[in-house]
Amino acid sequence: MAEISKPSVRTIFHIDLDAFFVTVEQVLNPALRGKAVIVGGRPGGRGVVAAASYEARKYGVHSAMPLARAKRLCPQAVFLTGNYRKYVEFSHKYMAILGDYTPSLQPGGLDEAYLDVTGCENYGSWHGLALKMKQRITKETGLVASVGIAPCRVVAKVASDLGKPDGLIEVLPGEERAFLATLPVRKMPGIGEKTGKVLKTMGIETIGQLAEMPDSLFRSRLGEGMVWLQQHARGIDDSPVEAYGEAKSSSRETTFEKDTMDISFLKATLRYFAEKLGAELREEGKNARTVTLKLRYSDFETVNRSSSAREGTNLDDSIFQCAMRLLDKTLGNRFKPVRLIGLEVSHFTGGETQLSFFDAEAKRLEQLDRAIDQVRDKYGFDAIQTGYTLDLKQKYEGKMRDR
Amino acid sequence: MKVSCLQENLNKGLGIIGRAVASRTTLPITQNVLITTDQSQLKLAATNLEIAISCWIGAKIENEGSITIPARVLTEFVGSLPSDIISLNLKHHTLELKCGRYEARINGLDAADFPPIPQVGDDFSTKVKAEDLKLAISQVAFAAATEESRPVLTGVQTEFEGSKLTMAAADGFRLAVHRANLIEPVKEKVAMIIPAKAYHELNRLMGNEDQEIEITLNSQKSQVLFKLKGIEMVSQLIQGNFPNYSQLIPQTYGTKARIDVAEFLRAIKMAAIFARDGSGIARVIVTPGATVEAGKITISARADEIGDNIGEIDALVDGEAAKIAFNARYLADVLSVVKQAQVSLEVSTPSNPGVIRPVGTDNYDHVVMPMFVQW
Repeated sequence: MAEISKPSVRTIFHIDLDAFFVTVEQVLNPALRGKAVIVGGRPGGRGVVAAASYEARKYGVHSAMPLARAKRLCPQAVFLTGNYRKYVEFSHKYMAILGDYTPSLQPGGLDEAYLDVTGCENYGSWHGLALKMKQRITKETGLVASVGIAPCRVVAKVASDLGKPDGLIEVLPGEERAFLATLPVRKMPGIGEKTGKVLKTMGIETIGQLAEMPDSLFRSRLGEGMVWLQQHARGIDDSPVEAYGEAKSSSRETTFEKDTMDISFLKATLRYFAEKLGAELREEGKNARTVTLKLRYSDFETVNRSSSAREGTNLDDSIFQCAMRLLDKTLGNRFKPVRLIGLEVSHFTGGETQLSFFDAEAKRLEQLDRAIDQVRDKYGFDAIQTGYTLDLKQKYEGKMRDR
Repeated sequence: MKVSCLQENLNKGLGIIGRAVASRTTLPITQNVLITTDQSQLKLAATNLEIAISCWIGAKIENEGSITIPARVLTEFVGSLPSDIISLNLKHHTLELKCGRYEARINGLDAADFPPIPQVGDDFSTKVKAEDLKLAISQVAFAAATEESRPVLTGVQTEFEGSKLTMAAADGFRLAVHRANLIEPVKEKVAMIIPAKAYHELNRLMGNEDQEIEITLNSQKSQVLFKLKGIEMVSQLIQGNFPNYSQLIPQTYGTKARIDVAEFLRAIKMAAIFARDGSGIARVIVTPGATVEAGKITISARADEIGDNIGEIDALVDGEAAKIAFNARYLADVLSVVKQAQVSLEVSTPSNPGVIRPVGTDNYDHVVMPMFVQW
């Protein structure tokens, strides 16, 4: 059992749900338990794996892998398109449980969070507290979490990842560096394929070797901007857990089954995204000032273009019109087959509204959106459709992917 | 072409037309400057196809001719030369410049390929004092929209009728209307939408010189020409119908306050510090006193995580107590361009527009839509 630390030493939990999307599917449909399950889309398509059950992972399937490859590796797997709305519901429940223990909670996506529990000593041992959280999560949501406990964020994250699935690892103050030393560098958050390769050419394969590199050599090879990485490798990370910040942006994107140059299809997809994002903003009582269009062409060139307005909006049509202007500009510069399209809204403002002279038109659209929201709340998103998205219906026969 | 001129004249001329040089373009020649001999002067011109600026500088012409030269190279080179006589000598498509012991050769493109600078006819013509036009632009153009969602709102509605010039701009959240006098009355009423950007450029070109500006329109009513002393600017007009703005100006009010501009602006700027993180909301509360003179106005702002502030200023208040919230920036913008010492603020309900007018003149109306907030 850990000694209760001095106040100057922080205690940070990193809690991460195991195979989140898949586990939600298994909770909702127990017949899927113990089976290879892959969430992401239809295997004939070109999307990527969003989540894979541990049974599927045994065959080498991992997230971000093209679905077609996952199908080859694990043909017997159950492929699901996923239901984002359900995942958000589960995530809310899960975060609410974590919030019961400390207000110092920083979510990182739907399924993971950092908690700064420093000062929560009255719960007894950290290990006991973590166990209690894990049990509650499983009892109340059916999900399984892995926990890493450490005096800083990066070590807590590595620990939660290392213990998966259903893990619980505690790294005591002073032992951070030793804990990391033997692990391969790729276990370090921030080291991807590219940096991993650079390090390998230098003979650096473990986090310990990275930590021991002379500062000057590290700087000259990886640059001044990466100094933090070496600090992390030494188990040093002063970054605070930033208490429950609200999401800074919200986005939707899709990879097409086939590269397309069909403008009306691209428009229809953007309209669909605009309706989704608009509904989300209205539900949360927010307005967004910035709209960003993301396009990836068949040659993987990726373009992001944004437009910011002085006043925020949550109207489907305003978001859509703005997206259309960005699309026209982008394709005007370079028109070649499009592989992926995405739309993001950001720069949120509150519910205060700047009134406009031309509110009559905005009011009409507002009423229209509200009416559509009501129908969709009751009968589902597909129950009502705007003319712009007819193209999609024909293409997907009503089975529009959510994310 | 063989000419000579003073370095400072050429440098100044290039500076004047520089803002019309295209920065990003699909037509590379628009990144060039057109240099032409024009009677006994040297004419410099640039266009980005939205606006075109020409200016004339004194020069000694030995041989006539014209060429286009990349603006950046020419401007930077001429700007670095000492103040002396520059000789320009065109050999085929290469312009040779000599100044004291410095010389350069810059490759150009044929002047015939340069987009024609529109010739604006004299179907319509009038004159206005630079000083009056400058005031009108400074009080109106900033209220135009910068977003392109409604193109007509990025322009300034400009109306000529009798001996009156009326300019109006609105971005949907505020409206500015300024009335000025023409030197020469117009025969018939003419209205056009001039891009706010073009007006900003014109303001810069007019400088502080006391001069008369001639305004003419081409016969298709698609371009407007401003003729200054030694400078001409042509701008494309925005096509479309400007909203009927006069109906946006409230005719009645429940509360009218007369406020010192400097004090008001100070209080608004302070509120803006706290309002910055939110939606820029400044809450304005007008309180009448026992007499009109004893009125006061408080202006406050708050930001969830930072804190709040409140300021109180004296005002002459006529009417009932009122509260209304505005975007602090919109108020600061209008108060910064008023020349008079005092303004009147007219308001009615928290969701009806407020009107700001300078006290002592009736040539300016500024209408601001409020923000809807929880009090």
